Amino acid sequence: MEEIIKVEQLTKKFKIQKKTSGFKNFFKSEYKNIIAVDKLSFVIKKGERVAFIGPNGAGKSTTIKMLSSILYPTSGTAEVMGMTPWDNRKKLSYNIGTVFGQRSQLWYNLPVQDSFALLGKIYDIDEIKFKRRLSKLVKLFEIRDLLTHPTCSLSLGQRMRCEIVASLIHNPQVLFLDEPTIGLDVTAKEIIRNLIKKQALEEETTLLLTSHDTDDMEKVCDRVIIINKGKLIFDNTINKLKDSYLSKKYMEVTSESGEKIKTEVDTKETPVKKALEELMKKYHVVDMTVENPPMEEIIKEIYRRE
Amino acid sequence: MVAKFINLCKLFFYIQKSNLKTAFLNTGDALVNVLMMTINNLSFIFMWWVIFHNKGNINGWTFSEMALLFAVSNNAFATYALFARGIQNLPEYISNGNLDNYLLTPRSSLFIVSTSESTFANWGDYLTGFIMYFLSGYVGWKTFFLMLLTSFLAFVILYSVRLIVSCFAFFTSDTQRLGDNIFMAFLTFGMQPATIFTGWYKILFLTIIPAGFLSLVPVRIITEFEWKDLLLMILASIFFATVAIRFYHWGLKYYSSGNRFGVR
Repeated sequence: MEEIIKVEQLTKKFKIQKKTSGFKNFFKSEYKNIIAVDKLSFVIKKGERVAFIGPNGAGKSTTIKMLSSILYPTSGTAEVMGMTPWDNRKKLSYNIGTVFGQRSQLWYNLPVQDSFALLGKIYDIDEIKFKRRLSKLVKLFEIRDLLTHPTCSLSLGQRMRCEIVASLIHNPQVLFLDEPTIGLDVTAKEIIRNLIKKQALEEETTLLLTSHDTDDMEKVCDRVIIINKGKLIFDNTINKLKDSYLSKKYMEVTSESGEKIKTEVDTKETPVKKALEELMKKYHVVDMTVENPPMEEIIKEIYRRE
Repeated sequence: MVAKFINLCKLFFYIQKSNLKTAFLNTGDALVNVLMMTINNLSFIFMWWVIFHNKGNINGWTFSEMALLFAVSNNAFATYALFARGIQNLPEYISNGNLDNYLLTPRSSLFIVSTSESTFANWGDYLTGFIMYFLSGYVGWKTFFLMLLTSFLAFVILYSVRLIVSCFAFFTSDTQRLGDNIFMAFLTFGMQPATIFTGWYKILFLTIIPAGFLSLVPVRIITEFEWKDLLLMILASIFFATVAIRFYHWGLKYYSSGNRFGVR
């Protein structure tokens, strides 16, 4: 399969300013280098759906921003579709789509359909092609009812669906998603994950998705890259990660009396179903949750095994 | 090249259409704002009329020259505020990382940022500009054309100054206020009778603080046309625009996309 993203020894340092205390140092500033991405190397092939996972400050967003041409690296090389992103910003932008969970690319006061039309003009898409493409995406992401609403009146979940449509309007081959489910409730997260996966499968889009939510990668991706403190610490299939590090689940049940019972289950030894049956025998369960271990714990476990 | 330019023009008009649509979400408000802006400008100009009425002239300038200055500066500012005002948000976009969205489009990020905001009320500045031109007494086809041309060149210089001060945000934090203050100082200098600046002040007025291109040079071009003055203004606008655009592209290399860590 064709290599679509190639990263070699990619490094990004940020210079941070630190004010020192005391009147003498009032006009003096100290600077310190922070290594956000540290000699990162990986390859992504066409059509792969890759989760780029790590705790806060791991360097996920910084890497995506370098690959999407927003940031210049300190050192190292990267190629997206054979182009060096920061040297081919305009050319590359016709071929990539980006969604930043915490930022909007839609015009705040304009109806959503006007924002899409404006993006169509910015990407210089032929009128007939634009209409055909928009109609397909509107159907896929079920946003027909939202088209006439100004962006400012949309809920976060609705806005995210529109953001993804906006990023796909020019039919990109690579889609970068930076925390697309951040701040969403469980139902909205599920909808977004399903839609992203459906679109990627239908159009063979290569996905690079960053998140600190392990559910995002399980539900959307087939491969996972974990980074911590800017360094790559795991690069394998989701199944491999599941077998090795996600076999442990955290269960919490609430009994009728309101008592909350927390337990850890190793699914290699006891399936979730069996563990739940046992809990139900002991308590009159009215509510339950099953969660993966948090990212910090997975990373700790990876380091421990190394 | 031509096709590219035509495409850019089409996009420009489409963005302006969207900006108008936003402004006319409340038609009444939009029109009242234009009227209020015109009244506000004219009341400021009235103060100058009183000064000139009592004093006669200031170093050779009468109210007619002052009216031409207001015609050029108001038209230049209106062009900036209606079609390129987005540039004043650049420091904010740089510090909070919102510049990302603009960098990800296949068009010039500077063009998209600049046209991203428009203040409809500033049509009142155009209205003021044309009223002042007719009040100046220098009315005629030639002066009208020169007034339009110098207004456009003054806009280029005004925009370039704003862009240069906005780009400081690539290197230091919280430059929004600094940028606003420098830009306001530039405008304030440009709104004075240019003949009060002589000697070294005049050189300063045409170089480091190029406010002279909002007042002194355009008024001289309209009232006592000479090719060398027009050439000077064209070259100055090319120079400042080139410096500003290059500074922006250089600054982009230092853009940290909201990832600038800070310690309190």
